[in-house]
Amino acid sequence: MKAFILAGGFATRLWPLTEKRAKPLLPLAGKPIITHIVKKIPADIPVTVSTNAAFKEGFEEWKNKLGRENVEILIEDTKSDDQKLGALGAVRKWVEDENISEDVLLLTGDNYFGFQISDFLESYTEGTPILAAFDIKEKELAKSFGTVVLDSSSERATSNEQRATIHAFDEKPENPQSTLVSTGCSILPSSTLPILIEFAKEHPDNVGGIFEEFIRKGTSVECFQFSEPWFDIGSFNAYLEATQKLVGDEVIKEERASLEASECSGSIVLGINSKVSNSKLENVVMFEDCVIEDCDLSNCILDNGCELKGIDLRGKMLREGTKLVSSG
Amino acid sequence: MRPKILLSLWLLSDLALFVASYATAYFLRVGFLLSSDFPFDRFITTVAIVAPLWLIVLATTRTFQMTRNQMTRKNFAYVSYAALVGLALFSLAYYFRYTLFFSRLLLIYAFIITTILTWVWHIVFQRIQRVILTKNPPAFPTLIVGVTRESRKLIETLKNNKNPLCPVAILDGRGAPDNEIEGVPVLGKLNKLEEVLEQNKITHLIQCSDLEQSLNLLSACRQRKITYLLLPSVLGMVERDERVESLEGRAVIMV
Repeated sequence: MKAFILAGGFATRLWPLTEKRAKPLLPLAGKPIITHIVKKIPADIPVTVSTNAAFKEGFEEWKNKLGRENVEILIEDTKSDDQKLGALGAVRKWVEDENISEDVLLLTGDNYFGFQISDFLESYTEGTPILAAFDIKEKELAKSFGTVVLDSSSERATSNEQRATIHAFDEKPENPQSTLVSTGCSILPSSTLPILIEFAKEHPDNVGGIFEEFIRKGTSVECFQFSEPWFDIGSFNAYLEATQKLVGDEVIKEERASLEASECSGSIVLGINSKVSNSKLENVVMFEDCVIEDCDLSNCILDNGCELKGIDLRGKMLREGTKLVSSG
Repeated sequence: MRPKILLSLWLLSDLALFVASYATAYFLRVGFLLSSDFPFDRFITTVAIVAPLWLIVLATTRTFQMTRNQMTRKNFAYVSYAALVGLALFSLAYYFRYTLFFSRLLLIYAFIITTILTWVWHIVFQRIQRVILTKNPPAFPTLIVGVTRESRKLIETLKNNKNPLCPVAILDGRGAPDNEIEGVPVLGKLNKLEEVLEQNKITHLIQCSDLEQSLNLLSACRQRKITYLLLPSVLGMVERDERVESLEGRAVIMV
């Protein structure tokens, strides 16, 4: 089996945090989102991370720090959103260029999965595609994802198991029939790769659509249900919520970070060499080298090198190097 | 370079215009001769001394801003105000130098001529200036952020009036279906900000939507020494009755 991680998106909803880095490289509870994923992939499975030319250096640097040998960065030759191959297009290109003949563990680099990927792999039946699904509980929320409707007999037969057969898959439906959503973690058996190649030619952007296509073509698709945390980190709110869930009411201080005479509540992450003094923080994530003095910050994410003195902010994402110093 | 040369020419021409206005007033009042009772050389020397002071007063009204439309009532009022102060300064200076007063009619002529000539010259100069500043490549390439009704109107107005702020690119936080507005290309979302600022050598950024990104846009502008402008409609002010005031020395927007 080979693992393929999709990390080529430009993540415009998370601008300006994604101005100079890909979304999977955003720090989540002290380490990049993609590191959380790769650490869960068994060491013997080679990992290919597909990204675009704009984020090449960031991923190369990440790979060097990761310390895992069998990780390869595949650079898609695109520098902007309008030139993208599309997520499924990228998988297709990789399968064709590398003559992939093994099963593929397909993951999206901007999702956090709380479950163990080894459990997911164990539930895989040779030759049957499987995807990991999470019950998001609300149909309104399910509209933004690929929803999974389980086979009723399978649902009854396996009510105590994590695995079930999928009856229908709807990508971003207007009227979801289920609150069970696909989470961007799946296994595509080698026998299904020709279907993927054909489908990707017409629908290079529709990753979820491949499961609809399998079902349409009579290929059985299974579902691995899990209840551990899962986050699709696509927006400011989702990013902050994921941080809150993972960090809890704690303060994470990375190397050389300091916190003096300050009041903290909720989840606080202080990146490398960040310094906070005489401030009040509530649910704040700051990346590296930030300096905060005499500020009141709530629900804020600060990119590298921000310098804030004497100001109050609520619900803001600040770009790298933002300097806001109150003149009194 | 073009703006600096134009501004220097503008200031110098205004100085000359002030002196010429007073000289005209002199001849209108005294007649087209050089009076020995009211010597022209004393008169014109005093005018020359006062002229820079008048120019400073005029400059404080920000009339020399290249983006300002000169053909407005407000601007006429500023020019009149400066002419009036100039007149007062001239009277005082003449009295201080020679302890003499002179014809009140001359002062009225000087006021009227200075006001009208300055205003008309400013309108003429503005036309010349706008042609030069908007010539390709424009002197002030401007980035518009946000595709909204207000930004469409703004682009249209800037283009129709040949304002020196020349919109060269548009970005929108959420992406826009349009490829261009009034011939100005919509280049994508804010993730292209750095690229657009760099490639188009942007000097001015006008934020027309995406309020949540104002800090980040401002930060990008500060880092690159770009002038940042914000449409009041971003804050929900669309009635055109807002103004920037000072509250105990702090700037506030008043509606």
